[in-house]
Amino acid sequence: MTALEISGLSKDYVDAYTGEEITAIGDVSFTVDRGEFVSILGPSGCGKTTVLNIIAGFVKQTGGTVKVGGRVVDGPGPDRGVVFQSHALFPWKTVLGNAAFGLRMKRVPPKQREATAREYLELVGLAGFEHKYPHELSGGMQQRLGVARVLANEPDVMLMDEPFASIDAQTRRKLQEDLTRVFELRRPTVFFVTHDIDEAVFLSDRVIVLSTRPSIVREIVTVDLPRPRTWRETTQLPEFRHLSNRITELLTGGAEDVHPAIDPD
Amino acid sequence: MSAFWFLLPFVLLVVVWAVVVAVTNTPMRVFPQVTDVLAALREMWVSGDLFRHLGASLRRVGVGTAIAVVTALPFGVALGVSPTLAAFFAPLLRFSVALAGIAWIPIATLWLGYSDSAVIFIVWNAMFFALTYNAMLGVQQIPIELLRAARSMGTGRIRMFFEVLVPGALPSIVTGLRIGLGYGWRGLVAAEIIASSAGLGYALFLAQTEFSTDVVITAMVIIGVLWLTMDRLLLAPLERRTVERWGMKAVSS
Repeated sequence: MTALEISGLSKDYVDAYTGEEITAIGDVSFTVDRGEFVSILGPSGCGKTTVLNIIAGFVKQTGGTVKVGGRVVDGPGPDRGVVFQSHALFPWKTVLGNAAFGLRMKRVPPKQREATAREYLELVGLAGFEHKYPHELSGGMQQRLGVARVLANEPDVMLMDEPFASIDAQTRRKLQEDLTRVFELRRPTVFFVTHDIDEAVFLSDRVIVLSTRPSIVREIVTVDLPRPRTWRETTQLPEFRHLSNRITELLTGGAEDVHPAIDPD
Repeated sequence: MSAFWFLLPFVLLVVVWAVVVAVTNTPMRVFPQVTDVLAALREMWVSGDLFRHLGASLRRVGVGTAIAVVTALPFGVALGVSPTLAAFFAPLLRFSVALAGIAWIPIATLWLGYSDSAVIFIVWNAMFFALTYNAMLGVQQIPIELLRAARSMGTGRIRMFFEVLVPGALPSIVTGLRIGLGYGWRGLVAAEIIASSAGLGYALFLAQTEFSTDVVITAMVIIGVLWLTMDRLLLAPLERRTVERWGMKAVSS
């Protein structure tokens, strides 16, 4: 079942300084199946975060459509939860209050939403921190909360915008492993923006590789590595290296000529 | 310890005041001695004047502040959310800042007579612009990701206001309340001098016509003490329990 369907997406904008019209996204189409983890990679400036912002409804596309669960979406909505690079937690809410926020907006009764929020906090390893405020947590823990806040809301798609980019390397490893564990346990649908090739391969079922601006889908690489995955075991598989090298080649443009998107669907 | 450092300058001021008045032998109709002020305070306490004036002033400040909060917060938040509204109203706000409060007393008395309403209007007016401006600034400083996060969780307009925009702007709103209440007190005193028959400003004015400098200084001291008390007992704890507890202190300037 298709959870997310992007067809013919394009985005032009006018550069604020030079006044010239720039086409950031040329023509991007892909789908994400329910329970699938799909990452998007591309050279800097190719507009991968813009793709996420359009899906989230924060930015209006110039052309093309975004469908979630078969319905065309326009503007933000609780069917698409977003995990931000900057965490974007509410400083005035406790850990529990942040995790339960989406459910409160949905008018879920207090007892039920607290139980759900606690369940997801435990899932991401934040049990015992319910009554702390976000600023009392480390960066890694803040992002765990960011994930719990979205998952507790049970959206159709979880959109993640370089969620671990501002976190130190060691913690990042741990967070990637924990995200994989949560994914394997709960099978949410995830659309993940990153510039880290190993991260994309490690986490994903498929990796979308974009070309330089104006971007098109250069290739969609299927990652057929066994789950459960751990950083130590998975990265030692020859297939992991192979995929990682293949994507590096695609990104540096050494592989072959840019060709139109080949979508398995 | 902090209470000591807070009170020390005031103690020194009183000592210097007592010594200077004693040494120069200043007559009371020019400036009262510390003991004269204490006696005047005691007399106002016994006669009940103190509580009559204090009550009238506090009530006006309270009502004026409540109306200012209820009107300025929604307006300021709306300006903070909409760049178009902000662009339109910003010149008007800047224009009004210099005129806020005292300059409106003649109009207020024309409209509302020499009444409580006129004084409350002045308090409201004095606070309104500072509060609006700071609420706007506070909302503009909320990181866009926070607003996006809230919207992507289905937050509607009303809940956005109470659950995201107001708490997000609170560091700046508290600053606005501080500045606004300062303006409000000044407006109050001025308005009471002109448009009232009770209140600390009125007591000040009445005493001046009778050359009772002891009562004048007493009223001034009371106004100052009230302002400090309000700031320390209301605003500072509000700030500690919210902005500081939430780790948002750095956001405010």
